[in-house]
Formats: sequence, C-alpha cells, structure tokens
Amino acid sequence: MAYWDVGRFDSSLPLMKSSMITVHRLTKRFADLRTGAFTALDRVSFEVQPGEILGLLGPNGAGKTTCLRILSTVLKPTSGSAIVAGYDVATHPEEVRARIGFLSNNTGIYDRMTAGEMVEHFGRLYGIPEAALQERISLLFERLQITKFRDVLGSKMSTGMRQKVSIARTIIHDPPVLIFDEPTSGLDVLVARKVIDEVKTLQDQGKCIIYSTHIMREVEKLCHRIAIIYRGQILAIGSVQELADQYSEPDMEELFFKLIDRHEEGLAANLVS
Amino acid sequence: MNWRNVILIFQREVLDQLRDRRTLFMVAVLPILLYPLLGIGMVQMTVLFSEQPRSVVILGAADLPALPLVEGRRFASRWFHSSADADKLRVVTDLDDTATTLPPESKEQNAADEQMLANAKQICERIRERRKIETDLDAARAQRQPAETATLETALQNLNTRLTSLFDRSGIQVLIYIPADFARNLAQRQKELAERDVATTVQFDYARPVILQNSADEKSVIAHRRVHDVLQAWERSILKSQLHESQLPETLTEPVMPAEIDLAEQEQVSANVWSKMFPALLVIMALTGAFYPAVDLCAGEKERGTMETLLICPATRTEIVLGKFLTVFVFSASTALLNLLSVGMTGKYMASLAMGGVSSRLGDLALPPVSALIWVIVILLPLATLFSALCLAIATFAKSSKEGQYYLTPLLMVTLGLTMFCLSPATEMQPFYSVMPVIGPGLLLKGLLKANGPGTEMYLYAIPVLLTSIGYSLLALWWAIEQFGSEEVLFREAERFDLRLWIKHLLRDKEPVPTFSEAGFCFLLIMLLQFVSWKSFQTAIQNTAQEDQGLFQIRLLIIQQIALIATPALMMGVILTTSLRRTFSLRWPGFRRLLLAALLPFTLHPLTTELVVSLQWFFPPPPPGMAELMKHLKNANVLLVILAFAVTPAICEEIAFRGFLLAGFRRLGRVGVAVILSSCAFGIIHMIPHQVFNATLLGFVLGAMCVRNRSLFPGIVFHFGYNLLGILHDRFGKFVPTGSAWNFFFRWEDDALRYQPALLCLLSLLCIGLLNRLLQPASIPDLQDTNAPAVDESLPHSDRFQASALHG
Repeated sequence: MAYWDVGRFDSSLPLMKSSMITVHRLTKRFADLRTGAFTALDRVSFEVQPGEILGLLGPNGAGKTTCLRILSTVLKPTSGSAIVAGYDVATHPEEVRARIGFLSNNTGIYDRMTAGEMVEHFGRLYGIPEAALQERISLLFERLQITKFRDVLGSKMSTGMRQKVSIARTIIHDPPVLIFDEPTSGLDVLVARKVIDEVKTLQDQGKCIIYSTHIMREVEKLCHRIAIIYRGQILAIGSVQELADQYSEPDMEELFFKLIDRHEEGLAANLVS
Repeated sequence: MNWRNVILIFQREVLDQLRDRRTLFMVAVLPILLYPLLGIGMVQMTVLFSEQPRSVVILGAADLPALPLVEGRRFASRWFHSSADADKLRVVTDLDDTATTLPPESKEQNAADEQMLANAKQICERIRERRKIETDLDAARAQRQPAETATLETALQNLNTRLTSLFDRSGIQVLIYIPADFARNLAQRQKELAERDVATTVQFDYARPVILQNSADEKSVIAHRRVHDVLQAWERSILKSQLHESQLPETLTEPVMPAEIDLAEQEQVSANVWSKMFPALLVIMALTGAFYPAVDLCAGEKERGTMETLLICPATRTEIVLGKFLTVFVFSASTALLNLLSVGMTGKYMASLAMGGVSSRLGDLALPPVSALIWVIVILLPLATLFSALCLAIATFAKSSKEGQYYLTPLLMVTLGLTMFCLSPATEMQPFYSVMPVIGPGLLLKGLLKANGPGTEMYLYAIPVLLTSIGYSLLALWWAIEQFGSEEVLFREAERFDLRLWIKHLLRDKEPVPTFSEAGFCFLLIMLLQFVSWKSFQTAIQNTAQEDQGLFQIRLLIIQQIALIATPALMMGVILTTSLRRTFSLRWPGFRRLLLAALLPFTLHPLTTELVVSLQWFFPPPPPGMAELMKHLKNANVLLVILAFAVTPAICEEIAFRGFLLAGFRRLGRVGVAVILSSCAFGIIHMIPHQVFNATLLGFVLGAMCVRNRSLFPGIVFHFGYNLLGILHDRFGKFVPTGSAWNFFFRWEDDALRYQPALLCLLSLLCIGLLNRLLQPASIPDLQDTNAPAVDESLPHSDRFQASALHG
C-alpha cells in the first residue's frame, strides 16, 4: 500500500486474500498466418504471496512476456482469470494498473524527457500529491543514484542510466505488486548488480514480486519459488529445494534442460499416437 | 473519465512534440519562413527573369507595304501593347540591305541568320509544292478519281511530315511569307476603293501572306501569339488608312465597340483571391499539421518502445487517446492558422511591393475583415478535429513512422481531391454539399469570404456544416479510440507479409461466417467491379441503335446485378466461409413473417416516396442519363421492367448486402453498427444522391429485419414488394382515382401520383405496427439456434487448435 493514501486504496479494496497475485488457468491465443492460431499461454496457474519473489524461468518465446503483459492488463486473456491485488485484470484493469509496477524490455523511457520529468509525469498519472511526489522522487533518485543525471534527456542516457530511470518509474507509486521482465538484460555487471539489489530491497519491504528471466544464477540468488515455463505451459513450480528434491536434480540448470527434454518427448509421443 | 489524466498526457505530448525538431519545423518554422522566402524568391525571379527572344523570319520582306512593320531586327514597337515586348521577337528578313543599314552584329549571329534564311527558303519551296498538291488533290476529288486522290493524299502527308521536321530543325519559331507583289496589290485595292469605282470589280482576291508555326512547340506558340497580335495591330492600322483615304469613317469596322466597365472594387478583388486561397490552405494545412504529430505520437511511440510504458499507467485507453488527440488537434489548428497568417502577411506585402507590375491589378491585397477571420477559426475547429482523429486512428495502426506515412498518403490524396473540387469556380454551396465532410467547410468558407459579402443563406448553411463536421469528427474519434483499444493493432508484429501464406491461411482457417475485413473487401470489390464495368457498359449502350437502347439498358442492369453484385458475394461466401446457411441467413422464417414482410412495402413505399420528394431541394439534380432511363422504363415491357428492377435487385442485393456484408460486419460485436455499416454500403452502391439516401434508409429496415428474423427471405420479399410498388407507382399511378372522395388519400401533381397527409398518417401507424411485429426476435425454438453459434464462436479456436496439436 502506498504510504500517502492508504485510506483511498483500502476503502476500495475488496476482501484481501492472502495471495497478492492469483492466476488461474490463464490462456492466451494469437492469430497467426503460418499456423492458424498460436497459443502463447496454455492454462497457466500460480499464486504469489506478499514478500515473495516468484521467478519465471523460461527460454525466449516461452510465454513469459505474454503472461506478464496479461498481468499488467496490456493484453486481455483469451480465457482463465488473473487477480492482482484483489482485482481481476479483465474487469478492473485501471485498479490493477494503479497497484502494480511493471518493468520490461518494452517499457522504454521517453527520449525527449529528462529523468526528472519522466518520473514526475508518471507519478502525477498515479495521482500522487505533488509534495509527496517530490519527496519520493528525491528519495528514489538518491537511492538509485539518478540525481547526478536528473536533467539529462532520455536520448542522451546510457542503457544503465535508462534502466535506473525505468526502475524509478516502476516504483514511484510504491505499488504492492512488482513485475520485472528480464530487468538485467543488456546491462553491464555493475548496473545488473544494482538492479538485483534493488529487487531484494523491495522484497524486504514486503512487496509481491514476479521476476522473469532466463538467467539461472539470478533465479537461484533471488527467488523464493521458481516456475519453469516452456511453450506456454508451466512445467514445474516450487522452491529451489522443492524442485531439486522432486526431480532429484540439485543443479538448477540441469533440471531446466531435463524438464524441457521431457516435455518435448511427451509432445513427440503425443504426435506419434 | 479522469480529465486530469487527459490533461497530464496532453501536456506531456505537447512538450514532447515541441522538443521534436521535425515537428517544430513542419508546424512552425516552415510556415513562418516558407512564404516570405517564396516571396523573396518570386521577386528575385522577376528581376532575373528575361525572356529569350524568339526568331521570326520574314521572306519577301521587299513586298511589304509602306507602313513599316519591321524596324531593323524587330517589329516596330508601336504595334505592341507594351513597347518592351518588341525585344522579345527577333526578326530576320531577306532584304539585301540588311547588312548595311543595321548595326553590326557578331559574325556568328549573321551566319546563323543566313542559315535560318536558307532554311526558310527551303520551307517555302515545300509550301509551294504543298499548295500545288492541294490544288491537284481538289481537282482529283472533283473529278472523282480515287486512285489519283489516294496517291496525292499520301504525297501530301509525306510532304507535311517533311515540312514539320524541316521547320523543327530550322530554329525558326514563326515564319512569315509575303507573296510577291503584295504591297502593289494592297495599294491597288486602296486606289480602287478610294475611287469607289463600283463598276470595276475590285480585285480583293490577291495572294495573302502565309504564317507558319508549330502549335505543338511551346516556344513557337508564344512567338506566334505575339506575331499574331502585332500583325493584327498592323492590319488595323492599314485598314484605317484605307478607310481614311476612301473618305469613310475610321470606326466603320467597329459598329458595336462596347465600353467596358469593371465594377470590382479593390477589396473585392482581394477578397476573391482570399476566398480561393484560404479554404484550400486551411484544409491542406490542417491535415498536414495533424499528419506529422499523429504519426510521431502513435507509430513513433511504438517505434521508440514507450507505448507499453504508457499503456501500463493508470490512465485508461480512452484518456490516452483523448490526450493524444488534443495534442494533434492543437498542432493541426496552429499549423493551419500560422500558415494562413504567414500567407496573408506575405501576400499583402508582396502586393504592395509590386505596384506597377502585373500584380498591381490585384490592388493592395487587404486581409479579409475580422468577421471573416473569425469564421476561418470557427470552421477550422471541426476540420482540425476531423483530421486529427482520422490521422490518429490511421497512425495507431502503423508500426513505425515510415509505415504511418505510407498509410496517411491516401488520406492526403483524397483531401487534395476534395479541396480541388471546392476550388472549382463552378462548385457552389448547396444543401447536399453542406453535409459532406471537408467539402462542406471548404465551400462554406469560400462563400463567406466571397467578394460581394456572404449572403444570408451562407449563415444558414453554417448550421448543417458545423453540425455534420462535429458528427464526422466524433465518429473519427470513436474510431481512433477503438483502434487504440485493439490488441491486434497495438501489438501488431512486423511480420513479413506473404501472399501465399495469407491465402493459405484464409482457406485453411475458414470460419462459419466471413470476418469483418472479408466483408469490407467484398464491398470494395463490388464497388470496383461497378467502376470498371461502367466504361464498357457505356460503350456497349452507345453502340446499340437508338431505339433499342432502353431495352438494352434494362437487360444490362439484370446482368450487372447478377454478375457484379450477387456473384462476388456468393463466390466469397463459398470460398471463405464454412456455413453458407449462416453467412447468407438461409433460414425459413415461417409464412407469417413472410406475409408481414410482403405487407410492409405498401405502408413504407408511400412514406419514403413523399419523404424523398419533400427533400428534393436537398439533393443535387440527377444526371441526365437517369431521366433517359426513366423514359425507357415507362415504355418497356412491364414484365421485363419488373424482372430488372424488382426481382433481380431483391435477390442479388439482399445476398450481397444483408447476406455476406452484414454477416461480416456483425463480427464487430455490435449489431447496430453492423446494420448501419451495411446500410451505408447499400446506399453508396446506388450512386445518385437521393437514391443513396433512400437506399440507406431502407437498408436500416432490411438490416434490422435480417438480424431479427435471422433470415434473408423476409428481406427479399420486402425488397421485391418495395421496388414493385415503385414501378407500379410510376407506370399505373395515373389510373389511381384522385377525384372527389379519393382526393382525401391521393392527388395528382407534377405528373406523378402523390399521397395525401391523411393517408400518410394512417400508413405510418400501420407501418409501425408491422415493423413492431416483424422486428420481434424470432421465436423460441430458434433461440437455441442463436445461442449455439454464439458459444461456438468463442470456442472454435481452442477446439481446432487442440485437434491440430493432437493430430499433428
């Protein structure tokens, strides 16, 4: 809950369940010239609690981004439901958007705005009162080390600088739910480290976080639980320890390949029959 | 709707645009600098511009009469309106003393002149030959010698070809050949005239000069026009002296010579200039001003990867579109205003500079009065709104700025066409034009800025123009919001378009009913076929004998209906859909509904007939061919007419418009919109404005009937009945009694049967009753039928996909 208007959010909140994100049999299909319909997401279900980081692990094109886009209400699900912070993404998209912070490769920053203007603009869109907003911006900019390039235009920033501004934009309204889609891709180790530290800080604050990536080390380091997603389906979900036990494979990377191989084999067997 | 969000987005977008060099250049820098620069350029051009003198050769100059036509190497300046024009023609003559009496010129020039003279002489030889052949040819023709005639004709043609090429190569723009003894003949005539010796037959029949030019050659045309003016002035002078010497009044040859008075005042002249320039500039600049920001705001935003950032903020899509729309609107309006201002100022300044030049005739281009300028702004607002919303909708669809510019080019072309139409002096405001987009505002502004001040009717026209413009703008805005809400549009992948794959996809992923775009394509196809066939039909009609034309036209109409309206829809239905029954609503509606549909025309036809007659003032007059066809109709075999105008349209048009098109449009998910779209399509195909109106109205009824009965058949029955009544009304209306008591219901007026208000009231009641019955949703057993496809529509994807995943 944002600290400046707890009352407003609370009054409009329906009965809170224990989990912040509940995804149930979520399915998304796209029309495709080549294959007819393409199922990007196939009956995916999971839950995420406050203070928990769920890692979405999967190769490119597995459906991670589609899933997260549905959670951020940018796409509408074909079927199934997703409840975020107590609101259904399909019926109350505005309420959901006000309560999530979303960062992905596709949420760039404006070239013709400075870091300060950019974050200020989004803060206002989230309805943060001006005084609180300024206070929050200086706090965040200090924490993320943006202050020194606060007045630089987006087009003049390096990738690392841009990502920092994006993070500031994502958390400016102090949302209870945060979604990071490959936040470290294309960054140098120093900035990547900074990003991961920031995600950790956010988790310590009790945020509910989904962290999607295809980098094993990040998952192992950050996430409480991992969902392995492949071809639009969740192949396995659980903590690192649980997965290791269940599949008797302590090495995450090996486990990942094993699961994918098994899934491929299953598909092939299906085709033959 | 949270207006705070709209304003926040608007502010950001404006700031963004103001920081974009390209937009600033287009919107502000270009208009402020372009016109003054163009002005300076024009002044420079006029200063630097000098016309190349054109060469005129005079052969036989020795035989020119005493009145001097030529002075040295140019025509005498007194024969020109403006003496400076004399320098624009260089005259080369074959007088021997040229060299001695004229100031020496360069050697090359002399050599060139010599060459030209030689060429001229050669040409004259050919001319003489030509004249001889012509005489022979005339003789041969007179004696009816076909063989001789043919040879001579070929010879003449060959000679002409040679003559043309010779002339082209000669470097001469105009060649004047003075026949021998011309001066002497002229003097002789003068003498005879002076003596007025009527007894002696005056020899007026002497050899005249010959002037050669090539009207296909621009240079020759200009030179010839000047030579022509010079010779005319010269000739008039000769005539005057002849009259003088014959003691006749010099004005003898000008018995009428009216005095001309131009009443145009200076303001009016300038107002005329503005009334032409302002509407065109306003329309084009409002579009250009909307065009670039719209592309940058939508396609550009996608391209730069910030679209999703915007979509995940709490603002709704409608708020985002409105914010963007307001931005585009501000830029569109300010571009148009800045351009007008800049043009006005530059024009005024230029005109005041060019006193004494040609443009001094325009006077001081005083700007239009303030009241007119306020009208400019009032009209600009709906125009800018329309263009902003249209550009936004189209630009949303594009994935990149470049793609956006491709999509917007057709919009620019259409608007330019409409503007050209408004600019034509023959186009004046009339009710029909006032409700057309772009044309209405353009003509209104033209009328308001007109020289003799706007008439009161112009102020009246302002009401429909502004109302419809606002309506169109809102429609366009609605479309833009719809576009922005569509996932397919926002997240369109830049996939390579492969025609083969696409066709495969169409044939493989057939659905029970056509998609929206398939229906849209079907309509475009029908329109295109009509357009393409029009020419060949016209030629075919012209090629038939006059007395058969009527019959032929009626037959052609049947063919046209079947081949160009029903066939495309049927073919597309067969190829692209899996359920013909659902696509064409082929369901038995029951006798009761068919009967109701058959009764409905009897109530609706008189009502619509009276409505169209009462709105006759609104529509431009129908084309003359229409009246012709109507005349044929009255005389042709009644059964054939019924076949062509009732049976075929009822079946063919229903198949296309209520069948394929409506089924496709319904995929939008809004039945009302689908019915409106199909009615508009049905209207547009009728071409002639008042028929378009009538057909669109009927389209609503027909569309609603088809949707509610889920059957095409009541529509076919109604359509047939309605058209049949039309034919009967035209043909047998005169047999309806209008006397005594009947006069309560009918009257005979303007050679047509008209219905009296009492009857119309009665019919309206009946019509409402019938429609009420007919438009009730089809009964319960059918209801399951409706539900089934609705469920099925959401399912087929998944089912099919799973099936294909399982089977490979």
